[in-house]
This record gives sequence, structure tokens and C-alpha cells, in this order.
Amino acid sequence: MKCVLAAFFVLVAALTAGGAPSARGEAITVAAAVSLKEALSDVAVRYKAETGEGVEFTFGSSGQLANQVLNGAPVDLFVSAANRQVDDLDKAGAIVDSSRRVVAGNSLVLVVPAGSDKAPTSLGALTTPAVTRVAVGEPGSVPAGQYAREALERAGVWAAVRDKLVLGTNVRQVLDYVERGEVSAGIVYATDAKQAGAKVRVACVIDPRDHGPIVYPAAIVKASAKRAAARLFLDYLTSEAGQSCLKKHGFSPPPVESSAPPPQ
Amino acid sequence: MSQGLWPTAGLSLRVSLAATALALVVGVPLAHLNARRRYPGKGLVEGLIVVPMVLPPTVVGYVIIALLGVRGWVGSWLHAWLSYSILFRFEGAMLAAAVVALPLLYLPTRAAFAAIDRDTEDAARVMGASRWQLFWHVTFPMALRGLASGLMLAFARALGEFGATVMVFGIRPGHTTLPVSIYLDYEQGEMALAAPAVAILCVLSMAMTLLYNRSALSRQD
Repeated sequence: MKCVLAAFFVLVAALTAGGAPSARGEAITVAAAVSLKEALSDVAVRYKAETGEGVEFTFGSSGQLANQVLNGAPVDLFVSAANRQVDDLDKAGAIVDSSRRVVAGNSLVLVVPAGSDKAPTSLGALTTPAVTRVAVGEPGSVPAGQYAREALERAGVWAAVRDKLVLGTNVRQVLDYVERGEVSAGIVYATDAKQAGAKVRVACVIDPRDHGPIVYPAAIVKASAKRAAARLFLDYLTSEAGQSCLKKHGFSPPPVESSAPPPQ
Repeated sequence: MSQGLWPTAGLSLRVSLAATALALVVGVPLAHLNARRRYPGKGLVEGLIVVPMVLPPTVVGYVIIALLGVRGWVGSWLHAWLSYSILFRFEGAMLAAAVVALPLLYLPTRAAFAAIDRDTEDAARVMGASRWQLFWHVTFPMALRGLASGLMLAFARALGEFGATVMVFGIRPGHTTLPVSIYLDYEQGEMALAAPAVAILCVLSMAMTLLYNRSALSRQD
């Protein structure tokens, strides 16, 4: 018993003494909507190759990330999948207002599990009994869910499908539910469907006029100590090199007129 | 997406009661068996029962989905034959909570069975008690205190279950438990909305703990 206790304390001492991180690298931290995961990681690899500057990411739903930024998370740049979350941070004075710009656009699709028969082919068809569960993002914190709700309301089926809804805490969870066949259908971004490859099938593309414009605004966090470095990466994102990378992953370029936040 | 406090609390209570009942039905026979018998693989069985106590609930959620999800080992079969999937259903929430609550019921119950004086049971046997009579009139009543404290702990644990529940039960409008609703409010930056749910859970869990302490202490009299 004494030996075990002694070994335990030796272990504690060894691990905690060496555990303090040696001077943190200069890498900036970017909190970004999870739909951008592969695209932004790809951009960062090129950015590192070209400039030698490192970028670290934390991905999640835009609402969750905005909440973390608001609560003082050590983030330098925030990339959201909707204006609402950046507006919220702006109102709270948490971002550098002048740094705000849209970096990409996207579209919304209805996806079904790859092998599913009886799959719905429109939002209206989600009310049929063959459709038992429909996954969307949690509209309060997940932009894809917010857009999905708008589209479902526009199609007049929101109330009818409400009892079938399963809410993902970010859009990739919605995609995962569909990939695993746990739900009959889900609403995700076109880029997510592309990312999933053969595991899901796009049942229909949702008319962009049926929901608010899907844009990805980025802004530098006011509390950041690396604002200059964050601005360089943001510039790279909107540069030709950054944009071609985003395009490769299926994102559309930022709409021309959307550099200013739209009136709410 | 909030659905009002009382339906949420109601669902939480129903899930935890059902989970505690399931843990009771599974846990008592296992506790009795393991307190009395030796058999090959007993260590493994006991390990499997108790390990959710120290495992992260996310691991429990993962295992349930890997086994019972539509693409899971057993779940794919269930889905193919019965078009049934436990995910997002009441049974899923019940199972997740029952698995994490089971060790808390099992351990005190097993200890209570093990502590029973074998001479008392032998005396009953000598007086002609059948196996069922022996269990219901002698063994079970003597283990009741241990079982009762186990029930309280298991219920409190089931009520507080979050990690496995959020994975297996998911988040459905109008069907969230108290711990899940707290997380949702937090995620939406609405901490204040979560306060009543936090208060309810604190009061109920505290009540359970007090009851447990009282019964555990009175046992020493």
C-alpha cells in the first residue's frame, strides 16, 4: 500500500512538473463554424507553407463559439456561418467592427441516407408517414438549423414536422445522423453533403429564396493579443489563394453586396 | 426551442423512474447471485456492471450506439426486422440512465446480501422454507435497507444523467430532460433560462442524498 501511494505521488510530481506548456507558439486561434472544417484546415496548411505562420482551430456551431468568445475564450478570429452570431458579438462590443467581412457563401440541401428507399424528395414530402425522423441544427445556436427552420416554415411544414425533429448541436452532427441512417432525412449545407461523399444522397437542393442568405462573416476578436496576425490570416482567406481553396471545397464566393451586415 | 419547465421536469422524472426500475429488475438478481455464488467469468460480469461508474458517460453512449444504433451490431438486425431503433426514443433515454445508475444500486445491494448471516437462512431452511419463501421472507427483507439506499442513489444518478443521454436520446423539441435543457440554454447563451432547471435538480438531488445519509446512518444503530 505504501508503495502504491509513493508511486502515485511520484507520478503526480513527474506529470505536473513537466506539464506546464513551454512558451506558447505564435499560432493564432480561429473559432470557426464546423461546416468550414476541412476547407479552413486546408487553407491553413497552405498559409503555413507560404508564410510559416501557424493557425489553430476550434470548430463548433456558430452559436456555441460566439458564446465562448463572449465568455472570454482565447480566440483571435471568429468565422460564423450566419450574420446573427457576429451581430450579437458586435452588440456586446466583443469584435473589432471594422475587421468584419464575409469570406464565403453556401447553399442548403435535403440529404437522405445513401441506401434509403422511400426517401423524401422535397421539404413538403417530410410530412409523409414514411419519414419518421428529420434532423436539423438546433435553430437557436446552429445557423444551418436557423436556415432550415426558415425553409421549413416557408414550405409550410414546420409545425407538421416538429414532432419528428431531432436537433443537432452543430451541422456535422445532423450530417452524422443521416450518414448513420438514424434519421430519414436531414438539412445540411451543400458543402457538408459533398464532404460526406457516398454516405448520403442529396434529395433536393433548397431554393435559396426560401431562407436568409447563407454567408460566412468573419471578424477579429477585440480581446485578442494577436490582432495583426489574425488580420493577415483573414486577408489570406479573402485573397485569391484562400478563395480558390474554399471554392475547391464547394463554397461559393462572398456575395458582392454583402460585405456590410444586412439590416435586421 | 424551450418547452416549459414542467414538461421537461416530468420527462426527467419518468425517465429516471423507469431507469431505476430497470436497474432494480436487473440489479437485484445479479447482486444476489454474485453475493452467493462463484462461477467462471464472475469477475468480468461484476466488472461490466460496475465500470460505468468510473467510465465517462460519453463512452456508455458510444457503446450503446455502437451496439443498438441502426448501423450497430444488434441494432442493424433490429432495424432490418422490426424497423426499430432505440435512438431518440424514451427507451434509449431509459437505457442510458439505467446503465450509469446500475452500479449505484448494485453495490450496496450486493453488500447487503453478502452481510446476511447465513445461519439465519439455514435456520429458515431447516424449518422447511422453500427457496422462494427463503428469499422473500428472510433474505430480501434483511437486504432491504441496502437496496433502499441503492435505489435512492441510482435514482439521483439517473436524474442527473447527461452525457450518455444526449448521445442516445439526442435533442428533440418538446422531449428534453432537465440536464439536457440546461446544456441547450447554455449553448444558446441563455444561462438565466436554465436557472429553474438547475434549482430543481439541486433540490431533488440534495433530497435524495439526505435520505441516503439518513438511511445509511440509521443502519449503524
